[in-house]
Amino acid sequence: MKSIWENYKTEVAYDELMQSKSQPRPVSQKLCHYLNSLSKQEIDKRKIAAELAIMEMGISFTVYSDEGNIDRAWPFDIIPRIIEAQEWRIIEKGLKQRLTALNHFISDVYGEQAFIKAGKMPGEIINSSKNFRKECVGMQPKHHVWANICGTDLVRDKDGIMYVLEDNLRVPSGVSYMLENRVITKRVFPELLQDIDVLPIDDYPTQLYDMLMSIAPQQTGKVRIVVLTPGVYNSAYFEHAYLAQQMGIQLVEGSDLVVKDDDCVYMRTIEGLEKVDVIYRRIDDDFLDPEVFRKDSTLGVKGLMRAWKAGHIALANAPGAGVADDKVVYAYVPEMIRFYLNEEPILPNVPTYLCSDKNQLEYVLEHLPELVAKPANESGGYGMIVGPHATLEEINAFRAVIKKDPRNYIAQPTLAISTAPTLCKGKLEPRHIDLRPFILQGENTFVTAGGLTRVALKKGSLVVNSSQGGGSKDTWIINGEES
Amino acid sequence: MLSRSAERLYWLARYLERTENIARLVSVHMNLLMDLPKGVEMNWVQLIQINAAEQEFYDKYTSANERTITRFLLADRTYSGSLFSSLIAARENIRTSRDLLPDEAWEQVNEMYLYAKNHLDSIANRHSRVLFLNEILKGCQRFTGLLSGYMSHHHPYRFIGLGKYLERADMTTRILDLASLLLSESRSIELRQYETILWMTILKSLNALLMYRQQVRSRINGDDVLNFLLLDNNLPRAVGCCISEIFNCIIKLPNHDGLPEKLLELKQTVEAIDTQQTTQLQLRVILDSLQNKFGGLHQQIAENWFLKVETEAVE
Repeated sequence: MKSIWENYKTEVAYDELMQSKSQPRPVSQKLCHYLNSLSKQEIDKRKIAAELAIMEMGISFTVYSDEGNIDRAWPFDIIPRIIEAQEWRIIEKGLKQRLTALNHFISDVYGEQAFIKAGKMPGEIINSSKNFRKECVGMQPKHHVWANICGTDLVRDKDGIMYVLEDNLRVPSGVSYMLENRVITKRVFPELLQDIDVLPIDDYPTQLYDMLMSIAPQQTGKVRIVVLTPGVYNSAYFEHAYLAQQMGIQLVEGSDLVVKDDDCVYMRTIEGLEKVDVIYRRIDDDFLDPEVFRKDSTLGVKGLMRAWKAGHIALANAPGAGVADDKVVYAYVPEMIRFYLNEEPILPNVPTYLCSDKNQLEYVLEHLPELVAKPANESGGYGMIVGPHATLEEINAFRAVIKKDPRNYIAQPTLAISTAPTLCKGKLEPRHIDLRPFILQGENTFVTAGGLTRVALKKGSLVVNSSQGGGSKDTWIINGEES
Repeated sequence: MLSRSAERLYWLARYLERTENIARLVSVHMNLLMDLPKGVEMNWVQLIQINAAEQEFYDKYTSANERTITRFLLADRTYSGSLFSSLIAARENIRTSRDLLPDEAWEQVNEMYLYAKNHLDSIANRHSRVLFLNEILKGCQRFTGLLSGYMSHHHPYRFIGLGKYLERADMTTRILDLASLLLSESRSIELRQYETILWMTILKSLNALLMYRQQVRSRINGDDVLNFLLLDNNLPRAVGCCISEIFNCIIKLPNHDGLPEKLLELKQTVEAIDTQQTTQLQLRVILDSLQNKFGGLHQQIAENWFLKVETEAVE
C-alpha cells in the first residue's frame, strides 16, 4: 500500500510539520505517527465525516458573483497545523505589543498628532487616507482603545521567521471558522485530541463578551450589548449570527435600532424601545450612519455617530479605527512601537516599498516581476498582483494602475510562505498557509491560542483568501517538550 | 426580545408546521387511496382543494394525477405552499434567528432541508415517497421535542408556539372543510359504504384516531368526529385546543392588547357550532368565517409585536 506521504516535498518552502520528506518536526511527531497508523481508506472516511459535519452544521460563507450570491460550504482540511507553545508565547507578546502601539497611534492621529510632529511619518499619509474620519478628531473612546478587535495576518518565510503581513482593524472576520474548525476536529479525530495537549480556544466568545462589557459607557445596571450585521447577504453573516448566539446577545440589523432625541440608541423590541449600551458592529464606517457618512446607506443607523460622540454608546471597533488599517501606515508600525512604547518590535514587518515615495516607486516599477503589489485599502485579496506568477501583460497593466494612484499602492518581496501537509485527492501535499490570530483589547488584552490558519488549496498558489479559493485548517498550539 | 426576531420565529414555526401538515396529508391520502376501490370520487384533486391552490396548479400542469399533484405539493419550488418551499422558508427564518435558538435547532432544520433537497426526485416513486414523508415527519417532531427540552419556555418559545398553533388551527379547519364535503347529500351510494374509512382518514391525518377511541368511545361517525376535532380542549390538533394554546402564549407576552378579546370571540364561535343541527352548507360557511378570523388574529399579532419601520420612522 502506498503511503499518503509518497513524494511529499519539503524543498518548496519552510514546512510547518515536516523537517524533511520523511522526518517530522519534534512538535508534530505524535500527529504524524498517528496519521501513519491510519489506512488510506480510514483517512478518506474522516475527510468525508468532516465534510458531512460542515454541511449539517451549515458552516458556510457567501461568495459574490455575477450570478448572484452563493452560499458555499466552508472548505476545511482535516490535517491540523501545529505551532510550538514556546514560539507561540513570543508571538502572543508581539501581537499584544503591536495592537497596543496601533491604538496609541490612532488616539494620537485623532489627537495631537505627536508622531507626525516628531517627523516619524509624513502628515500627507493621514490627510490622504480614505479611512481617516475627520468626525473622530478629539474623541477619546474608553481605555483609549479604538481597535478593540484585531485580526493580524502572519506568514512564515523560508528563513523560518514569522512576519506580520497586515493588521485588520476594521471588521476582521474568520474567528467563527477558527472555533468551528476545532469542533470539527474534535468530531473527526477524537482519539488524537485526547492524547495531545492542545491549548483550548473555545473561550473566545466569553473573552469577546467581557471585552465588550468593559467598554460600556456606564458599568452600572444591566448592560445591553448587540451585534450589528449588514444582514443576511453579507459574506460573513454566518459569523455574525454565530458570535451573537455564542455570546447569548441579540443580532440586530440597522432597522432594529433607532437614535432618539436624547442621543441614545434604542432597539425595537416586543416590549417597545429598549436602550442599547454597546454595539459590536460588523458594518464598515462608510455605511454606519447616513447622517454622517454615505447618505445612501440603508444598512446603518441614522444618528449613531451623534450618540457615539455624546458618549451614550460604545462602538467596537470605534469609527475611524481603520485609519491604521492601511498598508502604507503598516510600514510605520515598527517605528510606532519604538515611539509610543519605547520597546523594540517583537514581530518583524515584511519589508515594504511605498509607491508614494518617488525613489521607492521607481524601484517597484522596475522590480514588479519579483514583487507582490497590493492596494493600500483593500481586503479579501482583491486587486493585488503576485509578480512571479503574472504574465508580462498583466505586469505592464498593473504598472499603469500603480502610476495612476501611487499613494494607494505598496509592494513587498514575494515571500516563500511556509507550507503544511494538506490532503489532496487522498495524498498529502504541501500547500501554502498563513495564520490570522485574533486580538481583543478593552480593559485587558487577549490573544486567541493560535488563530485561523488559511490554506491556498490550489497547487503553488500563495493566495489564501476564502473568496479566492482558499480553505482552512485547525491550528494547534502544543508544548514542545511533551512530544 | 427584538420585534424582528419575534416575527422570524413566528414564521419559522408556521412554515415548519406547514411542512409537517403537508407531509402528513399526503401520507394519509396515499393510505386512503389504497383502501378505496377504484372509481370512487375521492382522488388526488382534493389535496389541492384543501390548500385552495387549484388555480395555481392548473396554471402549471395540464392534468391532475398522482404524479403531478405530489410533485406540485411536495417538490415544486415555484409554488409557495409546497412542502419544499415551506422548508426553504423555515430554514431562511431560522438562519436569521440563530442567536435565539439552541445550536441543535438550526442543525435539525438544516439537515432536514439537505435531506429534502437531495431526495426530491425520489417522490415520484410510491415506495420512496413513503420513506421521504416519514423522514420529514420525524424531523419535524425532533425539532419540536428539541425546543421543548432545550429551550427556556420564555418569550421566544411563545412566539414559536403562536406560529405553530395558528398554522395548525388553520390546517385543521381546512381538513374539516374537506370533511364537510363528505356530509353532502350528493354522495354516491358507493362512497357512503366507505364512510367509516373516510372519517378514520380524517382522524389519522390529524393524528387523532387513538385519542378519539379513548375519549369519545363511540362508533366512528361524522358528527362525533367533527365535534371532537373542533371542540376538544386536550387534543393537540383540535381547533379548541389550538385556541387555548394560543391564549396561553399571548397572555404571558407583554403588549397583548386586543388579543384576549379576539381569542374569546373565536372560542365562542367554535363552541356555538352544533354539528348535529348544521347542514353541510352551513358548516362550510362557519369554517370559512373561522379561517377569516384566524387571518384577523394574525393581523393583530403583527400589529402588536412585529417590526413596523415605516410607521415608527414618521413619529
